[in-house]
Amino acid sequence: METQEIDRETALSGLLDQIPERVKTISEKRDSFLTDTVLLGEIPSPTYGEDERIRAVVDRFRENGLSSPTIDEFGNASAHLPGTEGQSSILVMAHADSVFSREVRHEIQVGSGHMRGPGIADNALGLAAMIALPRLLDDLGIRLRDDLILVANSRSLGRANLEGASGFLETMSLPARAGICVEGSTLGRLSYSGLGTLRGEITLQVPSDYDWKRFGASGAISHVTGLINQIREIPIPKEPKTQLVFGGLRCGSSFNTSPKQGTLRFEITSEDNDIIGQMEDQLNEICEQFSAETGTLVSMEVVAKRQNCSIPFTHPLVKTTRSIMQEAGITPKVDPSTGDLNALILSGLPAVTLGLTTVENLREINETVQLDPLYAGMTQLVTLIQAIDQGICDS
Amino acid sequence: MNKINENWLERNTFHHADFWDLIKLVEEKEKKGLKISLCIPTLNEEKTIGKEVLILRSELMERYPLIDEFAVIDSGSKDKTLEVAKNYGADVYLASDILPEVGDKRGKGENLWKAIHQLKGDIICYVDADISNIHPRFVYGLVAPLIHRDEISYVKAFYDRPLNYSSGLRPSGGGRVTEILIRPLFSLFFPELSHIIQPLSGEYAARREVLEKIPFPIGYGVETSHLLDLYAMHGLETFAQTDLDRRVHRNQTTNALGKMSFGILQTFFNRLHAQGKLDRMPDLETFYRRFEVEEGKYHQLVQEVIEEERPPMIEVEGYRNRMASS
Repeated sequence: METQEIDRETALSGLLDQIPERVKTISEKRDSFLTDTVLLGEIPSPTYGEDERIRAVVDRFRENGLSSPTIDEFGNASAHLPGTEGQSSILVMAHADSVFSREVRHEIQVGSGHMRGPGIADNALGLAAMIALPRLLDDLGIRLRDDLILVANSRSLGRANLEGASGFLETMSLPARAGICVEGSTLGRLSYSGLGTLRGEITLQVPSDYDWKRFGASGAISHVTGLINQIREIPIPKEPKTQLVFGGLRCGSSFNTSPKQGTLRFEITSEDNDIIGQMEDQLNEICEQFSAETGTLVSMEVVAKRQNCSIPFTHPLVKTTRSIMQEAGITPKVDPSTGDLNALILSGLPAVTLGLTTVENLREINETVQLDPLYAGMTQLVTLIQAIDQGICDS
Repeated sequence: MNKINENWLERNTFHHADFWDLIKLVEEKEKKGLKISLCIPTLNEEKTIGKEVLILRSELMERYPLIDEFAVIDSGSKDKTLEVAKNYGADVYLASDILPEVGDKRGKGENLWKAIHQLKGDIICYVDADISNIHPRFVYGLVAPLIHRDEISYVKAFYDRPLNYSSGLRPSGGGRVTEILIRPLFSLFFPELSHIIQPLSGEYAARREVLEKIPFPIGYGVETSHLLDLYAMHGLETFAQTDLDRRVHRNQTTNALGKMSFGILQTFFNRLHAQGKLDRMPDLETFYRRFEVEEGKYHQLVQEVIEEERPPMIEVEGYRNRMASS
């Protein structure tokens, strides 16, 4: 075994030994980040409407002693915790947007062992954990050599297509050693690859001069159903793993009026970029043909598209993360990401996504996070940052 | 009188945002050597108490040491109120265990009264347990005027009604009992007190030296009695009020509000009686006073409402003549 390798193992072993004590300390220091979870979580933050939550993040950065936090042109809030050497940096990112609209009542309930409310796991908790890092590191007596770059990124979900994270990475000046995306959900999550994804919206319109007497004439609901049936005929390979999900359908508003328009939302994910390309072509052909045959207007809009990307399972960042999880009593579950991790890996940064605690009813109004497992979840995050800082995760 | 009152409204009405600089506020508090206790009276509040204790303690004791003591005083909850409150670090007391020699009465006012004995602060801040959008402003907005201005001894909260934002003009936004009962009563008997925008709000902060000198109704009348008694002792200048923006809480049934009004009326008339106003009724005021808020400014709307009366028809000569001739 090479000397460098032995040094790494010794350093890692030293960090792992501290985990049980750290879980305890972090649980004692929990109030501040639980409070931030509630206060940030109660500010509605739909994608493209994150401004108020982002301003609150900037206030918190400042209150936590970080100098000159900024909001960039993409709506991301970021701040630096200077390291003792500052030759390189570690990027920790948590998305600030949520799937819930402003109209949803953003009220978080706090019980003895849990917290509940829309968007608490995805991603108020992740955001609060990221914000808490400077104080937690201080509480744990950890001084990093690298700068720590904290980012609350906007415009991550849905149509936003990782616009915030990609924008930040394009303009980031300091070289980063590695990146971590923080999500509330779910403890044990270990993502080190980004799945190729295509998200689209197919809109079908019945034109105003539509011939209602022609054979097969009907309203938008019947047509959209017919269209879905044709799409379902597209062969989907098991290997490489590929999936087509219909995620939303909007059509009609009453009992007795044939609607004139319908919208279908879908997502294709695949381990093979070519398959995604082929399926996109097939969908376009189906839409064109269906339009011609039925006299309706069918159009497909691709709202988000991203390439497959990955760092190897054997990458020291992944290996170290697994060791830390194991020591913290967390069972790793490899889970390819369709989120911000793609932007990080595609920009050339070794990166992983971690989840912080166990979650129920994810993306429902009664989304619930459990507090007991959270302290191990936070410990894995802090320990991984320290391992990156010590060069243990360098390839 | 109106001129003085207008001036009072300007001088003694605040917005919580006036006190956003908590570092400065804590410095001022320490300079004056003040100790502040926070008291939350509870009865079966497990759904909201956790969040209140977590946020207020974390922000106002740990991050900014504005509060020196944080107590939950409970009337014997059957749910997990005490467990949850304790879990997040509050000092938890049963009202019945405080001053046992005076006995145990059931009601929110009892807990507020016993807090004066149990807690050590020079200022006591009371916050209801059912606020679902709790935020540190609910406390610092109330204690700040007491820290900054020695002549003020009692600070009441008032709130917005967000539904009225779109018009740019919103009414004072009191609850139903405030608008239907208290504001008309104050307009009739204590017009100066009608400058208190939400006299029934359950959030207020006061100096020990005034709290220890007034009686506490244990039920619904406690907020009303505080205003009447302190007004009688010190006049309007002792009060201030702070806009705490939006407060989300339980909506009460009309029956519950009826019961509440009954309790308040008892307190109110007891005081009128004690002040000799029932036996020697003064001329009743004819000005009805309410509020509107426009572009952050508070205006009192004074409207003359004279309930003119007609005599019994039999006393009218024309009527008697018509009846006699028919």
